[in-house]
Amino acid sequence: MHALRIDTNRVLHLTIIFLLVFSVVQVVWWLIDHRAYTNSVTQEIKTLYGYEMLAAQKMAAAGIPAAEIVKVFPHAEVGEAGVALSPGALMELEDIQERKDNQYTWESGFFLLVQALAIAVLWRGLRGEAEIRRKQDSFLAMVSHQFKTPIASLQLSLETMVMRQLSPERFQQLSRRMLDDLQRMQSMVSKILDSARLDRGRMTLNRERLFLAEAVRHVTSSLEETAKRDNIHFEVAVPADLEIMADPMAVDGVLRNLIENALAAMVPTKGGTLSIDAARKGGEMTLHVRDTGVGFAPNAGPKLFERFYRLDAGGGNAAGTGLGLYIVQRFMHFENGDVTAHSDGPGKGATFTVTWPATESAA
Amino acid sequence: MDTAANKILVVEDDLHLAEGMAENMRAEGYVTDTAYDGKQGFERAVENDYDLVVLDVMLPHMDGFAVCRALREKGKNTPVLFLTARGDPQDRVRGLEAGGDDYLTKPFHLDEFLLRVRAILRRWEWYKRSVAQPASGDALRFAGNEVNFRTFQAQSWDGSVHTLTEKEAMILKVLSEHADAVVTRDDLLEKAWGYEVYPSTRTVDNFILRLRKIFERDPHNPVHFLTVRGVGYRFIPEGGAA
Repeated sequence: MHALRIDTNRVLHLTIIFLLVFSVVQVVWWLIDHRAYTNSVTQEIKTLYGYEMLAAQKMAAAGIPAAEIVKVFPHAEVGEAGVALSPGALMELEDIQERKDNQYTWESGFFLLVQALAIAVLWRGLRGEAEIRRKQDSFLAMVSHQFKTPIASLQLSLETMVMRQLSPERFQQLSRRMLDDLQRMQSMVSKILDSARLDRGRMTLNRERLFLAEAVRHVTSSLEETAKRDNIHFEVAVPADLEIMADPMAVDGVLRNLIENALAAMVPTKGGTLSIDAARKGGEMTLHVRDTGVGFAPNAGPKLFERFYRLDAGGGNAAGTGLGLYIVQRFMHFENGDVTAHSDGPGKGATFTVTWPATESAA
Repeated sequence: MDTAANKILVVEDDLHLAEGMAENMRAEGYVTDTAYDGKQGFERAVENDYDLVVLDVMLPHMDGFAVCRALREKGKNTPVLFLTARGDPQDRVRGLEAGGDDYLTKPFHLDEFLLRVRAILRRWEWYKRSVAQPASGDALRFAGNEVNFRTFQAQSWDGSVHTLTEKEAMILKVLSEHADAVVTRDDLLEKAWGYEVYPSTRTVDNFILRLRKIFERDPHNPVHFLTVRGVGYRFIPEGGAA
């Protein structure tokens, strides 16, 4: 249904482009035709002038006075050498032809310009639409692919419960696993929504004064259980009185995605330490999130923030969407801030640095 | 068939899925091992003698197709059941080409998964038993062609050496066991795929075409692998007219 609608649109676009091209040909033809017509009319009048002069010469030969001849043939000039066409008549004729030619050229030129513009605009629109559709398709494929794994896991757990007699402990374990899968899907949905919203380009940030330490604590406390299970230890060193002027939702999005990313990086290394510190330097606020996880090749830093880029990390948890760091980067863009990633190499952990610009009220 | 002896390797990067599958297979009496990325999976599969590898396609470090191909190149003929989140037919073809046995799309039903595992193991068991028989044994010689059913190596009449996929070897095995007789498509499907009619009969045709290309002097005018229109195939070692 959806594809059909887009196709109709496309057909409509192409039809109009075809009609426009056709009318361009028509205008060009019209121009050539009119110029030829004007030219032939001029020639015919010149021939008529010739006949007029012949008649006038005959009248002069018959002895009719010059005044009488000029009355009948106004373009004739009667002199001592005989009767001739007045040069003004020819000049006037050529003048009219040139004026008409110019008029047609300018008019059709204007139409051609308008048509060319219309074709260009339609063509661009058509191509842009195709590009958007391609992006949407690959986004959709990516997203549905991401969802299939937790769905498969959920289904497997449920069918295991239905099919087998389970001990209460096993039942508990499977239920926890299912809740975890649901949580994963939920976080994917919110990430997809976030990135879609950030993608649209415009976003109104409601900046307010907030304590950074509190925002960090809010995120870490919700992830504490996961971290403990994966043998990850938090080390937070954010001064309690550090204030920041920023949108609370954006701050939460940035912190949550950075911390989740760091946690995921330490699953394959069977745990480690996640340290978070922050400081104000000359108005600018800098926050570091350090992990002792899988790291990455030192030159891969900027690529990490691309949409759907996923590190070939390996190990138990590849549940990422490839959207988390992209969201961080977009949020920081809207905050006029910056985010960078650094690692000494695979297996050597990573440091993510976020910088918020100085704001008058918070400085 | 004693399923308790069957050892299965699960290569899947999603922790929950890997554990869920392994737990269920253990409940069925199989012995399981798990690997969480392609490299690890490949290493385990090379080092150990598994009866089956359940292999995810999208894996870190090395994708499932590459793992399967690398295993075949190493001469490891362990059957492979591919798992993938993408359901397009192109992937199924790629999986079979890489030397896979079967293909399951995520999300899947537990009973179907177990059914396919059982079917692959049963086929493998039949093949191994058949190859071990002293009479027909592990080799086939016909019209200058030589096939080793143990190593899957084949030398054709022109001296070229080929490595057969497991499916090709199985089809050849079934046909050679019924030399000169007509084997129906359904019989071939049942023996080489193991349940219902999962691939189209066109798929079987494609395998026969491959065998002709390797073993026939003129693949367009076959004398060994004959199609019996509407019924199935006939393998004539000495060669005969269509």
